[in-house]
Parts: sequence; structure tokens; C-alpha cells
Amino acid sequence: MALTTALGRAAGKPTARPGRAASLRRRRISTTPYLFLLPGIAVFVVAIIWPAISAFQMSLYKWNVFNSALSRWSGIDNYVRAFQDPHFWLSLSNSGIYMVATVIPQIVLGLGIALLLKRKSPSQPVFRVLFYLPVVTSWVVVSLLFKYLFDDSGLINFTLHDFLHLEASNTSWLAGRWSALVVICLLGIWKGIGWSMMIYLAALQGVPESLEEAAEMDGANRWQRFRVVTLPAINPATVFVSVMLVIGGLNVFTSVQLITDGGPIGQTDVVLTYMYTQAFKYSDFGYASSIAVILAVLVFILAVVQLRVMRRDDTEELS
Amino acid sequence: MKRSTTAGAAVAAALAITLLATGCSSGSGDSGGGSASKPVTITFWGAYGNGGNSTQQDALNKTLIPAFEKANPGITVKYTDIAYDSLLQKLTTSAAGGQLPDLVRADLGWVPQFAQNGVLVPLSDSMPDYKSLASKDYNGSVATNLYQGKYYGLPLDTNTRVLITDEAALAKAGMTKAPATFDDLQAMADKLKGSGVSLFADSKLEAWQISPWIWSGGGVLTNAKETKATGYLNSAKNVKTIQMLVDWYNEGLIPNLITGNAGATGTSDGLPKSDYATIFDGPWMAGIWAGQYPSFTPIYSQIPAGPGGSVSVVGGEDIVLTASSKHQEAAEKFIRFTQGSAFQLAMVKTGQMTVRPALADQQAAIDPYFKAFSDQLKTAKSRIASPNQSKIDTVLNTTLTQAFLGTTTVKAALDSAASQVDALLAGN
Amino acid sequence: MTSSALRLPGAPRKAPLAASSVFRYAVLIVGAFVMITPFLYMVSTSFQTQTFVLSTPPQFIPMPATTKNYQVALGTQNFALYFANSLIVAVISTAGSVLLSSMMAFAFARFRFPGREFLFRLLLAGLTIPAVMLLIPQFILAKNLQMLDSLGGLIFFYIAGSLALNTFLLRGFLASIPMELDQAMQVDGANAWTRYWRLALPLARPAIAIAIIFTFLNSWDEYPIALTMISGTDHATLPLAIANFQGQYATQWGVVFAASLIAVVPVIVVFLVFQRYFVQGLTAGAVKG
Repeated sequence: MALTTALGRAAGKPTARPGRAASLRRRRISTTPYLFLLPGIAVFVVAIIWPAISAFQMSLYKWNVFNSALSRWSGIDNYVRAFQDPHFWLSLSNSGIYMVATVIPQIVLGLGIALLLKRKSPSQPVFRVLFYLPVVTSWVVVSLLFKYLFDDSGLINFTLHDFLHLEASNTSWLAGRWSALVVICLLGIWKGIGWSMMIYLAALQGVPESLEEAAEMDGANRWQRFRVVTLPAINPATVFVSVMLVIGGLNVFTSVQLITDGGPIGQTDVVLTYMYTQAFKYSDFGYASSIAVILAVLVFILAVVQLRVMRRDDTEELS
Repeated sequence: MKRSTTAGAAVAAALAITLLATGCSSGSGDSGGGSASKPVTITFWGAYGNGGNSTQQDALNKTLIPAFEKANPGITVKYTDIAYDSLLQKLTTSAAGGQLPDLVRADLGWVPQFAQNGVLVPLSDSMPDYKSLASKDYNGSVATNLYQGKYYGLPLDTNTRVLITDEAALAKAGMTKAPATFDDLQAMADKLKGSGVSLFADSKLEAWQISPWIWSGGGVLTNAKETKATGYLNSAKNVKTIQMLVDWYNEGLIPNLITGNAGATGTSDGLPKSDYATIFDGPWMAGIWAGQYPSFTPIYSQIPAGPGGSVSVVGGEDIVLTASSKHQEAAEKFIRFTQGSAFQLAMVKTGQMTVRPALADQQAAIDPYFKAFSDQLKTAKSRIASPNQSKIDTVLNTTLTQAFLGTTTVKAALDSAASQVDALLAGN
Repeated sequence: MTSSALRLPGAPRKAPLAASSVFRYAVLIVGAFVMITPFLYMVSTSFQTQTFVLSTPPQFIPMPATTKNYQVALGTQNFALYFANSLIVAVISTAGSVLLSSMMAFAFARFRFPGREFLFRLLLAGLTIPAVMLLIPQFILAKNLQMLDSLGGLIFFYIAGSLALNTFLLRGFLASIPMELDQAMQVDGANAWTRYWRLALPLARPAIAIAIIFTFLNSWDEYPIALTMISGTDHATLPLAIANFQGQYATQWGVVFAASLIAVVPVIVVFLVFQRYFVQGLTAGAVKG
């Protein structure tokens, strides 16, 4: 995949540019990219963008979900309410904490495991499946399992207290905001490592061995080889993983709902559980939509910033 | 060159055709007149599936619906089972999309909210025999259908909370009979102090949990018209009752399950294991304990009486008719059917208590253990009939939890709760 | 892949290799253990009777072990139908999504055209919108398009929901395929579609394999949209069936776990089938050759 381009980049050579005739030809066939895009964009706009606009529209009303004709225009009232709502800020901070606490370990550990598993050997598929298992297990099941593990009389307390005698008494993990967040974050990391591992596995096998060998011959040690050869070569994967994990982290929902349901008394609410409560418990869809829009905008800005900062601009390869 | 483009177009076209073909395979909803002369299908949504324990759903699908259809030729009833935790979400989205079923087995708390939004038909207006049907049911159960002077459903099944005591813990407290009054509880508390056994456990501080205490303690939550909470919720009697619970909590006699510790042992495990001496719970526990703790013999008795007597809270489900239903007459026939003794007693056999006091004896004959519940139902009251019931629950839980945790006094917590509930009641 | 040509004469490689190998395996084994312990517990619980499910202290080896949970799960009315529905939906959604998103990724990676950044950002925006918020508008849309309570409706929305992620994933991989190969084909007279079908897709196999694995997994496990769109049992999918094992007052967790384990099998099969595409130095030959 990264083949000669990586070679070219590493050696500092610019990639070849097409000749004049080719670029003239390309300028003539200007509808081709649009034809490739059309089916996908059409489906996407109809099924995602249009509903998103409707959802945004809901946020500008005191929306009556049962009888939309009765909805009353409220402009930015819902947004003002959100910004003045201390519980919204609490939920946003919880989502943010979760995101930061889970993204970095998933990237680092996922890459680490991928590095260990990239070589060919009979045991590799076994390990790969084992690391991938948490990814495929449903959130409902693993959330329950983690809740059970961290129960006051669960396995974790049993190990730390009765077995290893590391703590004086059983910790009520789910009784307080911070300890409960620890549990939720651990679940997020545990479940996600296999995912980033897979992306990195695919990316790593595109890093040519000859490049590494060349660097080794030049006297580079393991870390230097990693930094100079491997990391840049897998940059697209890192960008992808990082952006997706940030989006996923801020959108955490099911695990929180099932482990603490935002409790105790809403202390572990994240943005989406708070939004869900507003939408389906209180039937306040206008407010819920505004919360969703605020989150979406925040996530979008973060994603764009990440792409700008992290992405090696590969547009010069395209012409 | 052209060939590959054609091939590509063919693939895309095939995909589109597949989508459309499978997409248009089944529409939903039959249009149709309301009279029974033309065959009519009415749809009924509920959570009778009960987590795979199919006795209730089987009774409905195999016995009751066929019986109804036989007696009413031309009407077909289609029951759809939806996981209980997802039912409200599905009802909301379906309402938004105008795809509600004819009948719903609705949680009590949903009725005022749906009624306020015009989702339901006021049966007290549309059914001429409503009054006579309702008079046969427990008052508290009927009251759960009330919204602004009209009744939007009929009780379908009911339940309540009673006191359930663990024999072993009782013995540890040196008592032979389950506590019957607040004073008994206090005596039991004194004996259990420091023993490691909790006097009482519950999982939250919402209306369902706290109302039996408040009512038995002689207090109320609001005025009779349910328009005001200040002066009622924060009355001296309520302060005394809640203080009693807070004192027990501080002495370690009520576990922190009540203040939201999701990791604490649940009541359904804590009682059989003798971690907890007493809990409040409903008739569904017998089936659950029979499966998980077969040797456990709980003691069922009335809620301990305080200055207000022994008063519990009404639970259960109502059957409601949606305003969008195109077969109201047929649906109302089914509603009448559910009020009859055939339906009620068949469901009693599956563990759903009857809403008719007159059938209580037959119910007890089917299973004597129901008696404690049907006795309690005679005086049980319903929760506030407000579309904001969910928010009121959150207010109660948040303020009272803080009282238990000691961050505010009981009086301050109740004052805060009362003023917040005032605002919510005003938004009716 | 061999480094024998580089071995300095006289320098032993075996001993340090063994030590690092041991270290490697130790880390992997510990890591794998941590990864699968909850899963193992799930398997164990699926063989336990209700009495011992989620008991404290936890019981690892089920005693007495029972297959009743599996019998209940498999014996559920229509279990085979739910399984088949899920399979149809997942397979078609995956195929459709990978096709459409690879086409889009090809366009983004290979061409410069007005609106490229805008369309890319549009896709990105689609990723950032919480799916729960779209449920009601999507429901109304499905109703208007007569797609309610049908597998085709699910397929449509599942494809739509995975387009952004797959396009994003595939674009990155496609972009790093060197242009020289494209140009070579162009010189031979190949048009864009041929370049896409014969060059880009085969070379992007690892990324496509990942896209297949992920899309299949997400379609297979998807719950909120299925709950919203499907009523009745004819078109229900497995996640709906599994959710129905959770009751109002109590849940048969043993049965839920058993059903979830049955449900996880196809996903693992898909993983095993496609994971060989992004391992074992496929490109080693391409570099040397």
C-alpha cells in the first residue's frame, strides 16, 4: 500500500507528477468523480443529512413529539437553556473526561499489540481473534459484565481486598462519580483496543521491510527505526484511529446507560445519556436536539482540527 | 472501456432493485371502517413477554385472544411484544411518526403524559359504560388513568408494594413477627444495630419508593387537586418520617443502595441472603426467588403502619386506546373483554394481579400468597397524575439523596423539592 | 522478510531474539488474558442455572453446568428467522456499503474537483451526529418511503450509517497507492471505472477487509434503528430478540449470554475469513517484485 510512495517520501524525493497530456485529459473528464460519488452521496444525503436537518429544526422549537403541528417556535431558547444548564456542563465534562482517558490508551496499546502481532506465525491468528473478541461482544453484555465485576462484592474487590490485600475494605466503585468513571473508562479502553489494533495491523503491513532493514544498516536502533520509518508510514491509520476514537469517545452512551444510568443522581451522566433522558423520558425533543447539535458541532470542530494538524497533506499526490 | 462502465451501472442498478424489492415487501396499517361488519384487525402492544418467561404471553396469545376472537367474529387482535425497557422509546418514536397501535398496555406513569399530548382517547367520554366498568376496579388503580377530569384508560393489571421480611434476619433481631408499625421498626432497628444486617433496603428515592413511607407517616405529597406541593410535601409530618429514615441510614441500618450506589447488593439478592431484614416489593418477586433462591421463604405483610395507617403505592398497567386508532369500536370491545373475569383470572394464573376487588377471593384461591397484596391494595394510593411525573421523580430522588448523604437537612431538602415540584405541577 | 543477508559475521542473533520473543509472548499472553476474561465469564455464565447467575462471590466454573440456556435461546419461537433476517440484512448492507464507499473513496483519493473538500466535510459531519437523534426523522422518512417494517428499510439505513466511516477509512488507504500505477493503466487506455475495479480495489484489500468486518459487525448488532422501524416478528433481527429476554422485573442473564454467544459466531467467522487480508506481509512480494 504505502509502497513506493513511502519510499519516495522517506528518500525525500517528490512523487512523480503526470505529464501534460495526462492532465489535459483529466480536465476534460470532469464528471467522472461525481459519477463515483453519486450513489453514495445520494443515499447519505437522503438517509443522514436530511434527518439531521430535521433534527436541527426540532431544536429551534418547543417541539411536541406527539403532535408536531403543536410545536412552538422558540428560536435559540433551547441553546441558551443548554448553556445555562449546570447539568449539561457536567455531562459534557464527563464525556470529555471519558474521551481523553480512553483515546490515548487505545491508540498506544492498540499500536503496541499490533507491533507485536504483525509477524507471520501460527499463533498470530489466535491472538488476533482473542484481542478482537471484546470488540465483537455486544455493549449490553460487556456493560453488565463490568458492572458485575466492579460490584461491591464483585471479582475486582475480591481480588484487591480478599486476595491481594491491596485495599483495606471493599470499594464502592459505582457509588461515586470518579470511581464510577474509572470503571466506565476501563470498559471503553478494554473494548476498543482490538479495534485500533486491527487498523494498525493493516497499516503496518504496508511498511516495507526493506526500509526498516536499510535504516538498521544505517545504525538506527529499534526506537529510531520506529520513529523515522514506521510512524510516518502509518500516519494515515493514526489519523483515522484518532479521529474516530475522539468521535466515539464523546458519543459514549450505552455503557454509561447500563452501568450507572448516569447515577448516582446524575453524577456520571454523559451528553448522550442526558440527551436521551430529555428525549425519551421527558419527551422534550427540542431541548434534546439542541444538546445533540451542540455535541455534533463540538465533535466536528475537533475532527477538522485533528485532520488539519495530523494529516500529512497528501493532496500533492493527487493531480 | 464502456463494458466496465456498463458492468458498474449494472451492479448499482441491481443493488437499487434489491433495496426497493425488499423495501416494498410489506407495508403496515390497514385502512378500514370502524364497524365490525368488515373484518378488522386491531393491534395491541405490550411487554407481556416478560423476559422470555412466556406464561403471560402464552395465556394472551393461546387462550385469551382466541376466546375474544371467537366471541367477536370479524375482529382479529394482533399482539406485538416489545422489550419493557424499550417500550416507551418505541411508543414515542411511533407517535412521532403517526404509527401507533390501537391499544397499548401502558405503564401508569405514561398515561398523563400521553393524555396531555392528545395521544389517547378519553374513555370516560367515548365509552358509555365507563363508569360502571371503572367502579368494579380498585380506586387507586382507576385514579391512575385520570388527567384533568377525564379518564384515559382502564386498569389492566395492578400490583403494589408490601413489606417482605427475611426470617433469619428477624430471628437475629430476636423478633417473631414481622414489624407492623413504625415503632416495631424502631425496636428492630435498635436490636440490629451493629449486627451487619440492614434494617431496610430500597434502590432509590423516587415516588415509587418514598410514597408508602410518606403516606403511612400521615403526610401527603400535594394538595388534593395536585396543584401545589409547598406546605404539603415539606410538612412537619414528612420531615419526621424522612428524618426517621435518614437516622437509620446514618446508623448503617439502610445500605447506600438507596442513595444510588449501583454496585451495592440489590434488594432481590440482599433479602434472601439475610443482608437485609426487610424490603418493600411487589408480587413478581415470588417467581424470581423461586428460580434463584428456591429454599427462601419470605414473609409477606402489610407496610408498617405509622400515624397515617398502612398505605402503599399502586402499580400496574393500564390499557389505553390511541386517538389515531381507526377501529375504536372494535378496540373498545377488547378493552371490555380485559375487564371481564375470564381475562382477569387467566392472567392471575400467570402472576398478574386482578384489578377487581370482587375477584380477590378467587385470586387468593389460585394462590394464597396474593392476599397480602390485595389487602394492601384496598388502601393503596396512586402517584401524582402529572405529565411531568418523570421530572418529579428526579427532583425527589436528587433532593432526598442529598438529605441522606448529609449535604442538606431533611427540611431544606423537602423545601427545595416542594418548590421544584410546584413549578412542575404548574406546567401541567 | 529475511534479514540473514544483513547479519554481521560472527554476531549471534539467536539469544537476544529468544529473550525478546519470550517477552513478546509474555505480554501477548497477559494481554490476551485480560481481554478475554470477561468473555470467558460470559461463556461460563451461559452454562449456569439461574440460581448461580451473577452470584457473589463469583463462580467461574459452572457447577452444575447446564445447556438449558442454549435450549431456551435456540428454542425461542422464530430464532432461526431472526438469525436469517439479521444475516440477510448484514450481508447486503456490508456489500452495498463497501461498494458505495469505495467508489466515493476512490473519487476523493484520485481526483481534484470542485466541492471535494465540502463533500468530504459533509461526510465527516455525518459521522459526528449522534445517531439517536436521527431516529424520529428517519422513522418518518422510512414511513414516507414505505420502508417501515421491512428488511430493505434496515439495509438502506445501515448502508447510509456506515458510508461516512468506510469512506474515510478507504480514502486514507487508497490515497497511498502510488499514482504511477494509475497512470500506467491510463496510458493503456483504461477508464476510471477500470482503474477502480482492477487496480484500486485489489490493492486496497486490507482496508476493504477491515471495512467488511466492521460494517458486518455494526449491522449485525444494530439495535436502535431496528427497534424503531420493525414491529412484529416477521422482520425482526437478532438484537431485538435478545433484548426481549430482558424482562420488566428480572432478566434471565444466562439466556441472554447464551443467545449473545450464538449471535457472536457469524461475526467471528467473518473476522477469521477476512483477517488474513491485512496480515502476513502481502506486500512483501510487491516490493521485491
